Amino acid sequence: MLTCSFTHEGYFSFSKSRMQIEKDEERAVSIPRVCIQCKDAPCIQVCSEEALFKDKGTGAIMVDKDKCTGCKKCVKACPYGGIVFDEEGSIPLICDLCGGKPSCIEVCRFPQAIKFKLKKENDEK
Amino acid sequence: MKSSYYGKILHINLSNNKIWYDILGEEEIKLYLGGRGIGAKLLWDMTDNKTDPLSKENVLIFSTGVLTGTNAPSSGRTTINFKSPLTGRYFKCSVGGGWGLRAKMVGVDHLVIHGKAKKPVYIYISVNKVEIRDASFLLRKSVKETNRILKEKIEDNSIDVACIGPAGESKVKYASIMFSIYNTAARGGSGTVMASKNLKAIVVNPNHGKVYVNDPENFYKYVKSSLEDTYNDSHSPVMYKYGTSPDNVSMFDEGLVASYNFRRQTIENSYNFTGKCQIDEGYLERRVGCGSCIIGCHRFTVVPSGSFKGTYSEGPELETYLALGARLGITDENYLMKLNEMANDFGFDSISLGSTIAWAMESYEKGLITKKDTNGLEIKWGNGDAVIELIKMIASREGIGDLLAEGTKKASEVIGNNSEEWAVQANGLEQSGVETRAMLSYALAFALNPRGPDHLTTECLAELGKSFSPEAEKIIEKITGDKKYAVPYMTEKRADIVTWHENIYAVSDALGICAFLTTASYGIDEEKCAKLFTYATGIKISSDEIMESGRRIVTLERCYNNREGCTRENDVLPKRLMNEIAEGRVKYQPIKPVNSKEILDKMLDDYYELNGWDKKTGYPEKGTLEKLKLFFCADKIYPR
Repeated sequence: MLTCSFTHEGYFSFSKSRMQIEKDEERAVSIPRVCIQCKDAPCIQVCSEEALFKDKGTGAIMVDKDKCTGCKKCVKACPYGGIVFDEEGSIPLICDLCGGKPSCIEVCRFPQAIKFKLKKENDEK
Repeated sequence: MKSSYYGKILHINLSNNKIWYDILGEEEIKLYLGGRGIGAKLLWDMTDNKTDPLSKENVLIFSTGVLTGTNAPSSGRTTINFKSPLTGRYFKCSVGGGWGLRAKMVGVDHLVIHGKAKKPVYIYISVNKVEIRDASFLLRKSVKETNRILKEKIEDNSIDVACIGPAGESKVKYASIMFSIYNTAARGGSGTVMASKNLKAIVVNPNHGKVYVNDPENFYKYVKSSLEDTYNDSHSPVMYKYGTSPDNVSMFDEGLVASYNFRRQTIENSYNFTGKCQIDEGYLERRVGCGSCIIGCHRFTVVPSGSFKGTYSEGPELETYLALGARLGITDENYLMKLNEMANDFGFDSISLGSTIAWAMESYEKGLITKKDTNGLEIKWGNGDAVIELIKMIASREGIGDLLAEGTKKASEVIGNNSEEWAVQANGLEQSGVETRAMLSYALAFALNPRGPDHLTTECLAELGKSFSPEAEKIIEKITGDKKYAVPYMTEKRADIVTWHENIYAVSDALGICAFLTTASYGIDEEKCAKLFTYATGIKISSDEIMESGRRIVTLERCYNNREGCTRENDVLPKRLMNEIAEGRVKYQPIKPVNSKEILDKMLDDYYELNGWDKKTGYPEKGTLEKLKLFFCADKIYPR
């Protein structure tokens, strides 16, 4: 989370991280919640301003800040809770895969905790 | 100027609800760095030798590290400073979890609690709010319950809580403050001081908070090299896989840990104390890391079957295994898990708790404490059920629990009859589980530690050399110039080894980096500390300067205790360790396996000479204080 906000915003902040972590501290459970880059992304479909689009190179869902009105429809449409809404900037924060080299993967040293896998051409999801 | 640390101090006076801020200058930051360094300076300034630790005049200082809140590896730590009610001396605790980085996000570099609230309160801190709130609904609640209730009431799962449990509320002299439920600022009575202020909890809400660094590009470069070097250290994966307990029984069988109130150096069923046992016998449910941590040495364990089925907590850490297991002759893993859960949930320092009970068991064996005193409990070695009941009695100060809540030193003074001989404490603090009779850097470090005899201002694992890790041997070579000194039974060069470890440990605490990254795995060295500090704050510092700041912190802490009246006479270990040879197999001792006065004196002389301390009084010499820009201490410790 810290590295995510640092890479995108230049400072460390939980609120500005594209990845959020659901925690049950008492049972020591931490589950990362992040955009899984759906093939037919409901967030893109629901956006009436066409502010969301897929990056041709990485396939990541991108936000056109100029077109976005901050209506939060995309946040509600996401079945995985993968979109964080930045109240300060009034804009959705969606994992952009850091242009194909995710910084969270770069700093995570826990074996197998998070991985970045490119989808194969004929994968269903 | 953007920085991860502005030296911003939030003061809260609970006597009159006054809240105000101070800010430190750049010069002071360079001298004491931040975290523990600034905490020690604030404690020096705000208390003195007349301060009663449990009066409203004592302060409780929470200091996030300079790097806390950033992604520097394992940098999420917080230091707590206070005058200890257990020892009457300087105290610092360092704690992990997630509280520190959340506090830093909302702009708390340091938080100083003054005074005493009229009624129990908790403090709530968010980006633009500091509130003192009623805590009457939290009274006598356990640590887990307190966290549950506060999260439900505040309706925000992103908060993090530091709180005391029932042990603190009963003013047990070794009550802890528990952070993020399972991380503990354990020793010296931090929780007792918090309770004396009528403060049950401090809640931080990190939402919309931010932490900057001065030079993001260069900072990230050193973060990545620190990550890489830590990851590649041969001991890091061992800590991840097995936690703080070892992967095999060799350390137990080689006599490196104390058992049966330090009468023996080995323990039966030693497999039950290993990280391997937690995994293979189905106790380990998850590995857990603190904020920003890349090691993940914490364990979350659940008892899978038997009469304690369902018992859950984090740990047990090695020290808890030793204190509530080996020192009491308890080796059944189900009991070890249960006692660990109780210590965490009541909010005890497990080391002092176990040691005090060990002293009581030996006193019981010798007939000084009887069943009449214990409400019928047979507190014999290995009796886990009796210990469970005794812990409840201590937490509520019921019956003999009232005496044991005072700690080993006081309890042995009250019982008398030579029971001081087996009170394994020095300067009021119960010794942690390290067998200092087998490791002489540890022996010297424990005698000098401003807290008292434990491993948490120095972690001299490096003296074990190759048998610990190849990197450990290299560290000894770097410090002493020759790897032949990487053996634990030599008195030569121990002063150099301890001094280096004290300095880097103080720097780690000031920066908020876990000392495991500088003194157990060796991925972060002086150079990286200096670079990370420089790029995080914009205040340029070299590796020599940062180590000098570390020495300054250690020396200031020494002066604090000198001001309390401590001299060379206080640089001792518990009587038992200085006079008795332990039973059991001892591998590492070609010399007499006792921390005798003769051995200690030789090492102390070397240390005093190396660091410019007077050999007679043990005070830092005036020239040393001048060189370290601590001359203000001389006015207080030297008679005019």
